[in-house]
Amino acid sequence: MADETTGTPVSGSILVVGGGISGITTALEAAEVGYEVFIVEKNPYLGGRVAQLNKYFPKLCPPTCGLEINFQRIKNNKNVKHFTLTEIENISGGPGNYDVTLKETPRYVNGNCTCCGKCAEACDVEIPNDFNFGMDKRKAAYLPHEMAFPQRYVLDASIIGKDAANKCREACEYNAIDLDMKAKTFNLKVASIVWATGWNPYDAKKMDNLRFGWIKNVITNMMMERLAAINGPTGGKIVRPSDGKAVSSIAFVQCAGSRDENHLPYCSYVCCLASLKQTTYIREQYPKAKVTIFYIDLRTPGRYEKFYKKVKADANVFFVKGKVAKIEEDPVTRDVLVTAENTLSGKKVQGRFDMVVLATGMEPSTATVKVPGNAKYDENNFVISGDILSTGCVKKPSDVMTSGQTATGTALKAIQTLVRR
Amino acid sequence: MAEGNLIKPDLEFVKRIRNSPGGESLKKCYQCATCSVVCNVTPEDKPFPRKEMLHAQWGLKEKLFANPDIWLCNQCSDCTAYCPRGAKPGEVLGAVRKLSIEHYAFPSIMGKMVGDPKYLWFLLAVPVVIFLVVLGYMGHIGIPDGEIIYAEKFVPVPAIDAIFISAALFAALGFFAGVTRYWRDLKSGVEISTNKWQKKVKGPLPIIIINTIVAFMTHKRFRKCEVTRDRADAHLFVFLGFAGLAITTTWAIVYLYGMHLESPYPWNDPMKILGSISALSLLYGIVQIITNRKKNAETAGAGGYFDWLFIMTILTIVVTGILSYALRLADIAVLAYPVYFIHLVIVFFLFAYAPFSKMAHMVYRTTALVFAKYSGREDKKYN
Repeated sequence: MADETTGTPVSGSILVVGGGISGITTALEAAEVGYEVFIVEKNPYLGGRVAQLNKYFPKLCPPTCGLEINFQRIKNNKNVKHFTLTEIENISGGPGNYDVTLKETPRYVNGNCTCCGKCAEACDVEIPNDFNFGMDKRKAAYLPHEMAFPQRYVLDASIIGKDAANKCREACEYNAIDLDMKAKTFNLKVASIVWATGWNPYDAKKMDNLRFGWIKNVITNMMMERLAAINGPTGGKIVRPSDGKAVSSIAFVQCAGSRDENHLPYCSYVCCLASLKQTTYIREQYPKAKVTIFYIDLRTPGRYEKFYKKVKADANVFFVKGKVAKIEEDPVTRDVLVTAENTLSGKKVQGRFDMVVLATGMEPSTATVKVPGNAKYDENNFVISGDILSTGCVKKPSDVMTSGQTATGTALKAIQTLVRR
Repeated sequence: MAEGNLIKPDLEFVKRIRNSPGGESLKKCYQCATCSVVCNVTPEDKPFPRKEMLHAQWGLKEKLFANPDIWLCNQCSDCTAYCPRGAKPGEVLGAVRKLSIEHYAFPSIMGKMVGDPKYLWFLLAVPVVIFLVVLGYMGHIGIPDGEIIYAEKFVPVPAIDAIFISAALFAALGFFAGVTRYWRDLKSGVEISTNKWQKKVKGPLPIIIINTIVAFMTHKRFRKCEVTRDRADAHLFVFLGFAGLAITTTWAIVYLYGMHLESPYPWNDPMKILGSISALSLLYGIVQIITNRKKNAETAGAGGYFDWLFIMTILTIVVTGILSYALRLADIAVLAYPVYFIHLVIVFFLFAYAPFSKMAHMVYRTTALVFAKYSGREDKKYN
C-alpha cells in the first residue's frame, strides 16, 4: 500500500500537506501530468472537511460524489503516494531541495483489514465521535466514516495496553490488528511543498453572548451538516439535541464570529450560502417548519444569487436584518430565545425557536498549528504563498468550487518550482 | 418606490463628531445592531445606539439632539465591548453629548470655549483676575500674619457671596436657556404617547420629575452596566459628596446670617462634620472614577479633554478644599493662603461654567429621563 512507503524518494517531487479536497486536487493535477507527489494527512482518512458535509456547492452533491472520483484517481495513479495519521515535524532546505521530517502515529491496524467490523463489535470502550463533533460516541476501534479512504479501521490510542485492545485483536480473523506498531519518524526529500491544511470551525464558545456550549439546542453549522447527513449521529434526521424532538422552527445566526474584530475580522465567505443550503435541508424534511435567518448582509457571490432567490421564494423562510447578540434558553421547554434589532423596522425582536444554528466561520488551521518551516502569514494566520506554497482554505476562506480551481493553479505553481531550476 | 424622504446630510457636523475625542471611530459602524441588543438600558422600540450611529454617520444633527436617547445612554460601554467593528458606539455617543451641550449653550460662545483646550487659560484667568482684584482692593495681597482666618484676613465673606451668587446666576441662566430649548426640541422631535392609562400611572410632570430624581438616587439604571459595573458606586459617592457639600453650604449660610456665628467653626460642629464626610466621599468617589477610567480605558475608552477637564476640576476642588483645612490647622500660612486661593478659583470655574462643561450632564440627562417618562419612551415592550 502506498501509505506504507518509506525511504527516500527521488528528488524533484512535490509534497502536499493536507488531504482534503484542495490537497487531493493539487496532488492529482500534478501527478496526472507526470510528477511524483506525496500527500500527508493527519487524520486516518482523506477527504477533510468535505467528507463531513451532507451536501456541497455548487450542485448540492453529497460528498461521496466528488470525493470518490478523486480517490479512484489516487488509486489509479502510481505517482501519488499518501500517508495518513502523519504530520510534518520539520522542514529544512529551500525550494528544489527540501528535507522534510514526518512523524506517523500508529493506526494499530495493518493492510489485512477487510472492514468486517468484528473488532468494533468486540470493543467495549466508547469515545466521543470527533467526526460528528462529539454529538455521539463511537467504539475505540472504528472506521472513521463509511466512505473513509483508505478503507481501514483504526484503534484509538487510549485503549492501547488495555484489555479492550486485546479483545479487538482476538476478534480479528485476518491478523489485521498489530498492537506493537510504534510511532515512526521518516524523511522525504522534495522540491516543492504545498500547504493545504484547511480550516477549523471557529470555536463558538468564544462568543459568550451566543451561549453555545451552555444551551444544548444551540448548535454550529458544521454540526447541522452532520445532523442532516445520512451517516450522521441521527441517521440524517434533523432533531433537537436536547430531546430528539422534530423541528418546527429554527433560526440561523449569521456572522457568528466572522466580520467581528473580537473574533474573526474577515468574512468567512461560505456561511451565508451554508445557511441557505441548510435551510433547504430543513424545508425538505419538514414541510411545515419555519426558518428565520438573522443577518447583517447576505453575501451570495456570483451565480449563488440565484440560490438565494430560490430559498427566498419559500414562504416559510424569513429574513431579519439585524445581528443576533443575545441568546437565552427557556429552562422549561428548552426552547431558544433569540434577540436582535430588526434594523429595517427599528424594533427589537425576540424570537422563540426549537433550535438555533450559529453560522460560525472558518479559522485557518495555521491559527493553532503553524507550518514547521519558513512560511508567510497574513494578519489572520492564513498562509500566503511564498517559498512554501499554500492553497485552499488555509490560504483564504473558500467554497469547494473555488478550492478546486485554486488547487489546480497551485499545482502549476508547484510544477514551476521544479522545472525552473 | 414609494415616496422617499430626502436626507440632507450635514457633512460639517459629521466632521465635528469625528474630530471630537471618542467620535473618531464613527465611520467604522456597519449597522449590524449588536449594540442595541447588548445594551441593558435601551428601550425595545427604536433602541439606541444603532440608530444614533446611523444618524451621526449621516450628519442628521436634529435627529440626534431632539431626542432623549443620547442622554438615556449611561456609556456602560457594553456596546463598545461587543461591537464587531471597533466603532465604539458608547464613545461616539459621548462625543455627540458633548456637541449637544455645546449646541444648547447660552451664550453659545461659552459652549465653544469650555469644550476647547485652547481657551482653558482664558477661562481660568477670569476667576483669578476677579479674586486678585478683590484682594488688591482689600490690600490683602501677600501672606497675612498670625492665626489663619481665611474670611477675615483674605477674601471677606461679602465678596465671596457676591462673586459666587453672580456665578450661580450666570450658570442658572445658562441652564434655563439650554434646557428650555432642549425641552422644546424634544417635544417637536418625538411623538408623545397618547396612552391615557400610562399618563394616569405616571402622573403630571412634577410627579414625574420627583420620580425621576428618586430613581436616580438608587442609581438603578447605572447598575445595569456590565462592562463598567464599578462606575455606579464611584458616581454615587461623587454625587453624595456634592449633595452633602450643598447642604453644608446652606447650613453655613444659616450660621452666618441667621445665627450670626463667625467662621472658622470647631471641627466637631455638626455642620463641619457633615462637610468633612462629604468632602471625603467626594474624594473617594473621584479617585475611584479616575481609577476606573484607567482600568477600563481599553474597553470603554480613555475619555477626552471634556471628560478629564470635569474630573480634574472636581479633584482639584476636593484636594485644595481638604488641604486648605489641614494647612490652616497646621498653621502653615505660606501654603494655606495660596491653596485656598486655588480652591476659590476652581470652585468658580466649576459653578460659572457648569452649563457648558460636562457638569451639564446632570441637568440634560435628568431632563431626558423626565421626558422619557413623560412621553412614554421608556415603556415600549417587544412588539
